[in-house]
Amino acid sequence: MNKDLLSGAALLAVAGTYYTWSTQIADSTLSDEIGADGLPKVLSVLLAILAACLIGRALLAVRLHAVAATTGKADEEEEDENAPLPRALGFLLFGAAYVFLLPFVGYIVATALLIGGIALYEGAQRRSWIVPAAAIGGAVFYWAIFVKLLGVNQPMGSIFQGLF
Amino acid sequence: MATFWDIIHLLTETPIFFVAIIGLTWGIMGGALPGISASITMALVLPFTYAMDPAQAIALLACVYIGAEYGGSIPAILIRTPGTNSSAATVIDGYELNRQGRAGEALGISLMSGVVGSLFGLAMLILLTEPLSWLALAFTPASYFGLGILGLSVIASMSGGSLIKGLCAATVGLMISTVGTDPISGVTRFTFDIPDLIGGIEPVLVMVGLFALTELMSQSGSVGPAKLNASIRIKLPSWSMMNRLKRSQFIGCILGLFEGLTPGGGGSIAAFMSYNEARRWSKTPHLFGKGSEEGVAAPEAANNTVASTAMIPLLSFGIPSSNSTAVLLGGLLMHGLIPGPRLFEQSAQVIDSIYVGSFIAIIAQIGVGIIILPACIWLVNRPRHYRAGFIFALILSGIYTLNNSLFDLGIALGLGVVGYLMRLARFPVLPMILGVVLGHMVESSYRRSLVLSGGDLRVFLEDPIAVALLSLALVFIIFSLAREIRDARKAKLKEAHS
Repeated sequence: MNKDLLSGAALLAVAGTYYTWSTQIADSTLSDEIGADGLPKVLSVLLAILAACLIGRALLAVRLHAVAATTGKADEEEEDENAPLPRALGFLLFGAAYVFLLPFVGYIVATALLIGGIALYEGAQRRSWIVPAAAIGGAVFYWAIFVKLLGVNQPMGSIFQGLF
Repeated sequence: MATFWDIIHLLTETPIFFVAIIGLTWGIMGGALPGISASITMALVLPFTYAMDPAQAIALLACVYIGAEYGGSIPAILIRTPGTNSSAATVIDGYELNRQGRAGEALGISLMSGVVGSLFGLAMLILLTEPLSWLALAFTPASYFGLGILGLSVIASMSGGSLIKGLCAATVGLMISTVGTDPISGVTRFTFDIPDLIGGIEPVLVMVGLFALTELMSQSGSVGPAKLNASIRIKLPSWSMMNRLKRSQFIGCILGLFEGLTPGGGGSIAAFMSYNEARRWSKTPHLFGKGSEEGVAAPEAANNTVASTAMIPLLSFGIPSSNSTAVLLGGLLMHGLIPGPRLFEQSAQVIDSIYVGSFIAIIAQIGVGIIILPACIWLVNRPRHYRAGFIFALILSGIYTLNNSLFDLGIALGLGVVGYLMRLARFPVLPMILGVVLGHMVESSYRRSLVLSGGDLRVFLEDPIAVALLSLALVFIIFSLAREIRDARKAKLKEAHS
């Protein structure tokens, strides 16, 4: 399916959902003429119109492409330099795991696991001593910057709080 | 104003030189860390100033501010993560130059344009504080609305060839800006009873998600960036290059001066608008977005100018035009100094210290930059499998620092997915960022204006500043659309010939 057609449909869904939510915004006696739901409603209608334009344009392009294909003038698809979706989402899963683990294992352990995990995911040699060294060194370095130097609190980890 | 001997006294009898260098270095470091904004960097140093002499303390804070505004460009160029909101526009061409193996050149241009902008801003601060300060007081809600629309008017030229997609992205950005508490009635919108959403979604989360996380996800599994930087040396622009950049730097300085005086934008509007105007007036507009030196020079000159000119309404009337100047105001009040015309008479040494300290910091910026930037380039040239993890950890640590919230991390990761999908579908991300940054200002000022005028729309036509800004916005939109149509026609003609 054409990417523009798909994204137009997705945006139409976003506009619909956003409009539904904006009808649920509570009324207030302090409100002005426009109200808290005024702009959200305008934006959802605007997005719906733009999404419809995008879909219309995509359908027109599909039709023109089909005509061009029969006459042998179809353009080739542009090469996509981005990582495939599963690979990219896999990368992001490390971040999700970090968010999940941070309150339990604390900043240093979670950061070391993140750096080490990503290094292996991105192709570092599994038996190399550099991976654990970089992971631990990196975590301690960031801890020194954020916690010690800048005085920013990072989670200590419920596991360690129980131990000490 | 300080005499020559006052300045000599300051330099020889007080530790202003060391204060300026320490403040600058601290500021660059804070600004370069994603999530640590200029205001947070200043707030972190604020308690240490308590025991200091007032003049030195305020000079230290001013130098931190200058350093942080510059520091934001370093991660913007090297890892596609704006260190501060105002360095978001630097990402566009700065990171592209880095991808081409020209990181040293991009950092050199950003450094020197920052110095030019800061010196211009300081000159304005010293010479024109009194005559320009009226503008800060003349701003009404209608003027702010005009300013917001002027900022949004650049969307047309930042849509990357598809105006519909750009407008879709901007609308979604405006939608994101409506999350949180309604600016007029105080009613919560789209918060779903989640306390972390009551204050809204911070623009920096959107920037980090759409720029940095998207880039990391897109590069996952690849062998490396387009081209590694062969040299880690900083390449300061030559005279001929500075001559080529003077037009874009001038545009940045003028827009930075204007925005510094107007509360609210914090450098972001000036940076985006100067990028847009630099492209309009450039002899090589086709290079913008593909690694244009002018595309780095204009926003950097603009946001560094703002760092100095934002002090004009603060020192004259005590009006903080951004979070950073609010921290500076806190510093002044902590030391018993009341901003206003009497500050210039009664605490002249404080004012002199700000001027002299800022000047030292701006000049020292070149030396400090030359020392620390090669190390930054070296770091981002490490093998990809290690570099990706380090950057990811740095970004997540920085985001957590904002509000000590795991929820913020989740938002940024979610926006990373959105950015990745936008990239796959070839949607531009800059209009979305502009929508998020300006949405609140546009909505609240529009509604406040109508409340004040009793619902009469003529309020926007009766305010001269609003009229000027809205007219300018209209002109920008017409010019941008005309250019888009012309470029599209040219592309079609080229296609037909080939």
